[in-house]
Amino acid sequence: MPAVTEPTRIRNFCIIAHIDHGKSTLADRLLELTHTVPDREMREQYLDKMDLERERGITIKAQAVRLAYRTSDVDHELNLIDTPGHVDFTYEVSRSLAACEGAILLVDAAQGIEAQTLANYHLARDAGLVIVPALNKIDLPQANVEESRRELAELVGEEPNDVLAVSGKTGQGVTDLLERVIELVPPPSGDPNARLRALIFDSSFDPYRGVVAYVRVFDGALPSRSKVRFMATGIDSDAEEAGVFAPEATPVTSLDAGEVGYLVTGLKDVHQVKVGDTVTLAGKQRAQEQLPGYREPLPMVWSGLYPAEGGDYTELRDALDRLKLSDAALVFEPETSQALGFGFRCGFLGLLHMDIVKERLEREFSLELIATAPNVEYHAVRGDETIVVHNPSEMPQPGTYDRVEEPIVLATIITPSEYLGPVFELCQSRRGELLEMSYLSPERAEVHYKLPLAEIIFDFFDQLKSRTRGYASLDYEPIGYELSELVKVDVLLHGEPVDAFSSVVHRDKAYGYGRRMVDRLRELIPRQLFDVAIQASIGSRIIARETVKAKRKDVLAKCYGGDITRKRKLLEEQKKGKARLRRVGRVDVPQEAFIEALRIDKGDRTKAGTRS
Amino acid sequence: MSAGVYVHVPFCVTRCGYCDFNAYAGLDHLRSRYVAGLVREAELATPEWSRETFVSVFLGGGTPTTLGVEDLQSLLSRLRSTVDVASDAEVTIEANPDTVDRAKLSGLLDAGYTRLSMGAQSFDRAVLAALERLHDPNSVRRAMHAARAAGYANVNLDLIYGANGETLESWERTLRVTVDLQPEHVSAYALTIEQSTPLGRKVQRGVVPAPDADLQADMFELACEVLGEASFHHYEVSNWGKPGLECRHNLGYWERRPYLGLGAGAHSYRDERRWWNVRPPEEYLSLVESGRLPIGGDEQLEPSEAHLEEVFLRLRILEGVPSSWVEDERSAPFVASGLLLENDGALVPTERGMLVLNELVLALAG
Repeated sequence: MPAVTEPTRIRNFCIIAHIDHGKSTLADRLLELTHTVPDREMREQYLDKMDLERERGITIKAQAVRLAYRTSDVDHELNLIDTPGHVDFTYEVSRSLAACEGAILLVDAAQGIEAQTLANYHLARDAGLVIVPALNKIDLPQANVEESRRELAELVGEEPNDVLAVSGKTGQGVTDLLERVIELVPPPSGDPNARLRALIFDSSFDPYRGVVAYVRVFDGALPSRSKVRFMATGIDSDAEEAGVFAPEATPVTSLDAGEVGYLVTGLKDVHQVKVGDTVTLAGKQRAQEQLPGYREPLPMVWSGLYPAEGGDYTELRDALDRLKLSDAALVFEPETSQALGFGFRCGFLGLLHMDIVKERLEREFSLELIATAPNVEYHAVRGDETIVVHNPSEMPQPGTYDRVEEPIVLATIITPSEYLGPVFELCQSRRGELLEMSYLSPERAEVHYKLPLAEIIFDFFDQLKSRTRGYASLDYEPIGYELSELVKVDVLLHGEPVDAFSSVVHRDKAYGYGRRMVDRLRELIPRQLFDVAIQASIGSRIIARETVKAKRKDVLAKCYGGDITRKRKLLEEQKKGKARLRRVGRVDVPQEAFIEALRIDKGDRTKAGTRS
Repeated sequence: MSAGVYVHVPFCVTRCGYCDFNAYAGLDHLRSRYVAGLVREAELATPEWSRETFVSVFLGGGTPTTLGVEDLQSLLSRLRSTVDVASDAEVTIEANPDTVDRAKLSGLLDAGYTRLSMGAQSFDRAVLAALERLHDPNSVRRAMHAARAAGYANVNLDLIYGANGETLESWERTLRVTVDLQPEHVSAYALTIEQSTPLGRKVQRGVVPAPDADLQADMFELACEVLGEASFHHYEVSNWGKPGLECRHNLGYWERRPYLGLGAGAHSYRDERRWWNVRPPEEYLSLVESGRLPIGGDEQLEPSEAHLEEVFLRLRILEGVPSSWVEDERSAPFVASGLLLENDGALVPTERGMLVLNELVLALAG
């Protein structure tokens, strides 16, 4: 078992980089250089690809790996902490950063600074981390080392020659980088003799061991087997094991002040182990004050999930219950739709999170799902009362409230200067308000916009990419609620509103939404025995209309020669098809029509990129 | 109960692109063996059908007239000596206009084939080309005149509407020419694309557009109008006959009377059991020649299946479904919207109703 390490010899750091700027490859070199992984076991992207199905061991990803490195006869304990990869998880990123004293700010020398580089840099700086800037991929022929070095130096306020140049691929400069981390990043402070306070910066669910917390000990010591208390949730538990990833999960007798590792909590529900919470000892040894910065996970995007087969409701409920064990950010409550039957209104951190959950439900639990159009949380205000709207059908009737407010984000976009025009146009068309613009270099600009969250959850990122030939990058953070001109658009089939198709949209976009839904449904609703009117309305005012003309011919032409068996089978098939229809008023609507009408086109999807 | 015999002749000069029947070009060398095989099969089937009197015989295909008059004459006479065919039975033979002339037709009538069914399909050359039919519209006129000259008094013309490029105007001309030729019976079928056919594959590949269902609906209504004016009785979705000259054999299928099918791939039905022969002619022949019934499969109809068939077939022949079979709330919307008529205690589809018959069947059969 690793011996207790003097805090002065510990360095806790992370690597922050835009997606594809080479974080995982650099981590591979650090594992090699420190002999953390024997040469013969080394493979590419080692930490990302650790075998997740090891029997009885801990089957979750190493979010923090311990490296041993010796300089001038001093043995150092280096804890490399991973940060979650996506803009949906800003809060989780901030907790990972809080576990570190320093960060390598890694920038692809061919690409330069990107929006997520910047966003994470600001988060890291705000968290008081020492920044070690480094250019990566300098072995690439297209690397623009001098230009990128100037840009990065300017960002962090250092001289260009303070920016190290490395190649994660060839290993060039990596030793210098590691030495620089040891030199610049301060050892952890904290009182080893105070009562235990450890920050939970991430958690996972292991099918054999239950909930595993990733912790950074600030004060005191966390013994391997101990009765612990989770301060925010007030839960006590008999923790089963403390350990470190080296990179395999390795038990230790205790995690001491300044150290980073894992804790097998003895709990079975991730909701009891919240990111940002503080672990202390239970009973008299309990610390008085939590570590700062704890926040409940806040869903940003809401959508109704319904089983495509109505009978699968119980299966969906069980699946969500199971998923919740390993996904602390997932919230859901039962809801009923006239059109879709029984389902759940689910809250997600963002669209990516929603995709992940939906995909896991479909893949791991073999469910076929209909997801209603995602929406943000609106606030309808009536006098002193605020009605929280998670589902368009909860929106009060026009005229019965004083105002509606919607969530606003601060978006940061970095783009080559030549595409500033198209970027402005896009943001303007999304109700954006330009706050600030500056040049990172004569060729690259940084733009800050205030935008409604609802405007960027659909297709904003793809639009941004296509208008800038893929060069622009985006990051955003919520900054509160503001008054807005919002209306609820309903979609009616043969005069009957279909709740699943209702949406809350800005007044200026109402016609566009109504027209799009009506046009889509015209293609998706099969012809019936009567004309079906498809209408979009705001309150009682119709804003778009299409008609699906009555079906005139549905008959088998020939029925002779005696092969009536085949004709009967065709009819039986048709009957089975009918059984899969959902009835809205008098109109039969296929499942597929709901799925297709509510599908977010490839073009309307925001992938705000992974932040790594 | 009066039964029917269906005799399948699987030979064709060429295959048409839209046809998914059990028919083959290039098997002419099997002809005489095949005729003998049919008779052999009738003999093998006799024990089961010995108490049945057959009121209709129907030679379909394929193209039965690819067989010579002698073969056809001997086939019918040997069939009559094997099973009990009523002396006044309706005996139909399908004919391709290009494979008959006056002499052949006289021979067929003499042999006892009392009813002639000719595949006219269209009188528009472009439509015939789209259907890959080789004959010329004029050959139908000639064949019709030859049939009359030979003494035929019961002739059907088969038509197909809705092929690629056919317009409502073209269809109307075809209907008018048909009426002018004064057949006793007309079958008009909406072109149905079968996936397994060359035409089906072209439609799937997008080389040929699928028929426009609305245009076919207009064409159906036009057929009802033109044929109705010419005093044809519309007695089945796709069939019109002069009063008293409805096809007795086909009515047998629709009225769920028993039928014996002879030949490759032919279907038989009796006592809620349906069975069918193997489809490849060689396989069929090797079975009957070794004295075995050439059955390829069968099914015993469950009561629910029998009910679905009965509703389906009764609606097709406008006999309708007894009102007492269907709860009022089920039928009322269709009566109200003019798709069904309540007539003498029966629910009968209107012309518009016939066009959406599948919907009616599914709604009324429950």
